[in-house]
Amino acid sequence: MSTASLYTRRIEVSADETKPRKHQDHHLWKENLWRLAIVAVLIVAWQFAVDFGWVNAFLMGSPGGIAIEAWRQLQSGQLLSDTWTTLYATIVGFLLGSIGGSMAGLLLWYSRHVARIIDPFVVALNGLPKISLAPMIIIWFGSGMLSKVALAFIATFIVALLSAYQGTHQIDANLVNLMRSLGATKRQIFLKVVVPATLPWIISAFRLNIGFALIAEIGGEFIASDKGLGRSIFVAGNLFNLNAVWVGVLTLMLVAIALYLVVSRIERHLLPWESR
Amino acid sequence: MTLSTPLRETAAIPSVGADVAIALDHVEKHFEDKQGNPIPVIRDITLDIREHEFISIVGPSGCGKSTMFNIIANLLEPSAGSITLRGSHPIRGAHIGYMLQRDLLFPWRTILENVALGLEVAGVPRARRLAMSREHLERYNLADFADAYPHTLSGGMRQRVALIRTLITDPDVILLDEPFSALDYQTRLVLEEEILSILKSFDKTVVLITHDIGEAIAMSDRVAVMTQRPTSVKRLYEVGLSRRLGSCLKARSDPRYQTLFDQIWADLDIQMGGPAS
Ligand SMILES: Nc1ncnc2c1ncn2[C@@H]1O[C@H](COP(=O)(O)OP(=O)(O)O)[C@@H](O)[C@H]1O
Ligand SMILES: [Mg+2]
Repeated sequence: MSTASLYTRRIEVSADETKPRKHQDHHLWKENLWRLAIVAVLIVAWQFAVDFGWVNAFLMGSPGGIAIEAWRQLQSGQLLSDTWTTLYATIVGFLLGSIGGSMAGLLLWYSRHVARIIDPFVVALNGLPKISLAPMIIIWFGSGMLSKVALAFIATFIVALLSAYQGTHQIDANLVNLMRSLGATKRQIFLKVVVPATLPWIISAFRLNIGFALIAEIGGEFIASDKGLGRSIFVAGNLFNLNAVWVGVLTLMLVAIALYLVVSRIERHLLPWESR
Repeated sequence: MTLSTPLRETAAIPSVGADVAIALDHVEKHFEDKQGNPIPVIRDITLDIREHEFISIVGPSGCGKSTMFNIIANLLEPSAGSITLRGSHPIRGAHIGYMLQRDLLFPWRTILENVALGLEVAGVPRARRLAMSREHLERYNLADFADAYPHTLSGGMRQRVALIRTLITDPDVILLDEPFSALDYQTRLVLEEEILSILKSFDKTVVLITHDIGEAIAMSDRVAVMTQRPTSVKRLYEVGLSRRLGSCLKARSDPRYQTLFDQIWADLDIQMGGPAS
C-alpha cells in the first residue's frame, strides 16, 4: 500500500510531462512569424497607450522605459552580474537535486523494503511547499548563494526521486524476465534495463524541475539576498520602478527558456530512440 | 494421461526412446492470492521433451502454459515435482533460450546491440560480441538494420531479430511463447517457414506455445494439448508433417493436417464448452 502512494504521487507530478513533446517542423517559420507579429503589436499598442495617457506608465512601465532601463543595467554590468548569480545558483541546485534525486529514486528499485519505510516521509516532503523552508535555510546557510543552491536542491530533489522511482515501476516485467532467463544478475538488470527504461521519466522530471528550481531560487532572493535577478525585481518593486521590474522579469523568462532548450538538447542526446 | 499416436512417425523424427532433453515429472504450481489462499495453476504436468524435437503446446488461454515455461526456464520454482534438463537441474542463461510473447526488443538499443544482449550478459567482450552479432545479422539478411532502432522495423522483422538474439548464445533448448501472435496471417505463414528452417539448421530442441492449432500441426513433431486450469497434459499427438514433407505449407495441405486439426479442436472444444461457459 505504502509504495502505491509513492506511485500515484508521481502521476500527479507529471502526468502531462511524461511523453517527450514532438513538433512538426514544416510550419515552424510561419508560426514564428505570427508570434513575432503578436509581440510587435503588443509592444506598439502598449507604447501608444502610454504616450496617449490611457495607461499609467508609473504603474505599468513602458516599452521605451524598459529598453532604456535594460540598456542602463547592461552598461553598468548589473544585469549580467544579477543574471549570472541567479543562473549559477539555480543550475547548481537544480543539477544536484535532479541528479541526486533521480539516483536515489533509481536505487530504491533495489529494495522495496526501504522504499516502503521512507514512503511517508517522501510523500510529506512532496506536499510541503519548499519555499516555506526558506527562512530556516537562510538562517543556516546565510543570505548568499549557498542558501539559494540549497533551496533549489530541496525543491528539485523530491520531484526527481518520485519520478525516477515511479519510472522503475512502469518497466515491462517481461524485459526483466528476459534478462533473468539470460542469467543476468540484479546489477545487470539494474544497469541494462532499469536505468535506460527510466530515463524518459528522469528527463521529464528535469523539465519540471527547471521551474521548481527557479521558483525556489527567486523566492529565496526575495527573502534575503545581496545579488541576483530576484533581488533586483524585489528592490525595484519596492521603489515602484516598474521598468526595472520588467527588465528582471523578462530576463528571468529568457533564463527559463534557455534552460528548457538545454534540457531538450540533453533529451535528444540521451533518448535517441525516442525521436521517431 | 492419455497417450494417442494417430500417426506412425518415420525414423527422422525424434521418437519414443530418443534421448530426453527436458523431463517434467509431476510438476505442480500454485500461486497465492492476496489472502494467501493457493490458486492452483498447474495440477500435474508429466512430460518428456525429446532431444532435437519440435513440440508444440496448445491449450486454453490462461491455463498455465507460460507458467510452465517460466518453470522450465527456472524463473519460477515448481510447488511440487521436479524438472531436469539433460538429467540435471536447469540453470538460467546458458542452456535455455527463452523467446517471450511479442518481440521484446529493448527500444533503447539498436538492432545490433539487441542481438548482442545475451552475449553481453554472459560477459563476452564488446568487440567480440558485436562482431558475432553482425555476423548473425548478415547470415539472415538483416545486416542493413544493424544500426536501426527496433521501432523502425515491422513486426515480422522484429520477431526475426528476437529469434536471432535467442539463438546467438547457442542454447540447447529454445522456448517460444506465442511468438507469432501479434503478427498478421501472411507474415505469420512466412515466418513459420523461415523460423522452422533456421531452427532445423541449428538442430535445436524447440518447445512452442501457440493458440493456433494449425500452426502447431504445421510446424511440430509432436503436439501436447493441455486441459483448462489447473492444467495437465490432456493428449499427445505425434505429427511430424513438416519434417517429413519439408515445409509448413506442404504440411498444411496434407490430408492428415485436417484430421489432426479436427481431433485437437475437439479436445480443446470439450474444455472450452465445459463448465466455464
Ligand atoms: N505471478 C502470478 N501470481 C498469481 N497468478 C498468476 C501469476 N502468474 C500467472 N498467474 C495466473 O496463472 C494463470 C496461468 O497464467 P499463464 O501461465 O500466463 O497462462 P497461459 O500462458 O496459458 O495463457 C492465469 O490465470 C494467471 O492469472
Ligand atoms: Mg501465456
